[in-house]
Amino acid sequence: MKLRATAMVFWAGLAIAGGAVHAKDTLCPRPSTGDGQSQAVITAIQALEKTLSAAQRASLERPFVRESAIRWSNLPVGIVPRDGLRLGDLDEKQNHAARRVAAAALSACGLKMLDDIRVADNVLKAVDERKIGWDGGNYYMSVLGMPSDRTPWMLQIGGHHIAYNFTFNGKRDGATPLFFGSEPIQFHAADLEYEPLVHQSSAMSNLARALAKRPEAKLSGTFTDVVKGVVVIPVPGKMPTGGTDTGFPQTYPTGSADRGILYSALAPADQALVRAAIESFASLPGAAITKTLVAKYESPAALADTYVGYSGQPDLSAEHSYVRVDGPQVWMELVVQKAVADASKLHYHALWRDKQSDYGGEIGH
Amino acid sequence: MTTRASALLALTSAAVAGLALAHSAPNSFVKLRFDTNSVRAEVLVPQSELSVATAAERTTDSFARYLQRHLSAETARGLAWTVEVKSVRDTTYLEHDYLSAEVVFTPPPGSPVREFVLVDDAVTHEVRNHTVLVLAQDAGEPRVLGVLQYPARKLAVNH
Repeated sequence: MKLRATAMVFWAGLAIAGGAVHAKDTLCPRPSTGDGQSQAVITAIQALEKTLSAAQRASLERPFVRESAIRWSNLPVGIVPRDGLRLGDLDEKQNHAARRVAAAALSACGLKMLDDIRVADNVLKAVDERKIGWDGGNYYMSVLGMPSDRTPWMLQIGGHHIAYNFTFNGKRDGATPLFFGSEPIQFHAADLEYEPLVHQSSAMSNLARALAKRPEAKLSGTFTDVVKGVVVIPVPGKMPTGGTDTGFPQTYPTGSADRGILYSALAPADQALVRAAIESFASLPGAAITKTLVAKYESPAALADTYVGYSGQPDLSAEHSYVRVDGPQVWMELVVQKAVADASKLHYHALWRDKQSDYGGEIGH
Repeated sequence: MTTRASALLALTSAAVAGLALAHSAPNSFVKLRFDTNSVRAEVLVPQSELSVATAAERTTDSFARYLQRHLSAETARGLAWTVEVKSVRDTTYLEHDYLSAEVVFTPPPGSPVREFVLVDDAVTHEVRNHTVLVLAQDAGEPRVLGVLQYPARKLAVNH
């Protein structure tokens, strides 16, 4: 299949300029402009703000409090409206400036995923006429708190199938929660072939195929969605509420029961697949945001206490297939669901949480 | 919420009401009403997730019998309450097919009616992402008492 190089659908004609292109991200094989360095992100935000009207700035800038921070979702924006600056409303100059913020914060892989997932929403918009908010323009950017080199603040970029939540200067490293998904899994648009989650789904599937040789790696039960996702609160006779991260902070499995197989019980080649799966998720933010976390996840002590497990089809070819990495800090899961717009197809949901440092450790109950 | 987002929600609310859970797996909920001597519960379980759970159990039990195996209540000291499934009906909520049961929980003589442990692993015994939202319905809006997700199957209620 021909995979396109870089989507420019939403950032048409933009050359990534105004920031040095780093030679190579540690985890992402292609360069990004800002590498996730806080000063580069701050500079890009300040440049964006200069292009915005007062009303747009008010949309972009929100308080860094729990209510704002947990306002991300895997549901379309017609169901769970997002706050923030709507990217689909920006003029060309503003669009370029917003693009530079994303490019400063994300790796090239993370930026490409954002682009591709927005294209997927436009594909859905064309095939599913229900007014539920499928639209590549329905992606938003928010800055929570005052961008600073010293005090905590957040950058959020998200919409239907992606939620980047980066906390800078938090008590802990702030790469998560990071939700991403894809419907359709593969699609064709403007003579190009897309598969937004190809690296992450391949890495998780490679791991699951290796785990399938080990009966103890199979998780009990059935998975119809990610386990630690958003919570919808249904109330009979009314519209549901929630649909955001109201369940934070989450509780996680303890002990050894039903968590899969320990990393240390795997052969070296299979251990490498665990690390590849971790890095496929962790490569989405700029390296400066994730390199410390990955070092912690892949420390000998952490890996010795990391479980991996799967359920369903290891090749992810069927609904309910599921793969998980569950360490002392890291929680990464990917599930295959029936597609919504076309029930004959499948779609992915994936979630990376950090058991200790979601929201940089700055958000409580 | 931004003005634009509000307008979008208003525009689409009727159309999307049925889709809110269509995009994520539907969950169960238990709504409790506290009477003088008993607790009445409305138990709603999505049929799609229930079918996954019962297929794994290889059971053809009726929904009432299934609930009697997976839903109970007990005192804080573990003394069982009486559980009676009064009725079962089909319903829909947000375009999902649900089974709805009216269940009455009665405490042992002398035990308080507003303080007990709800034990519920319906669907969650099999579906690992499934949640059971437990609500208290007094006058006004229902109040969330807690959420059960595997492996948790017990919720202390003190309302």
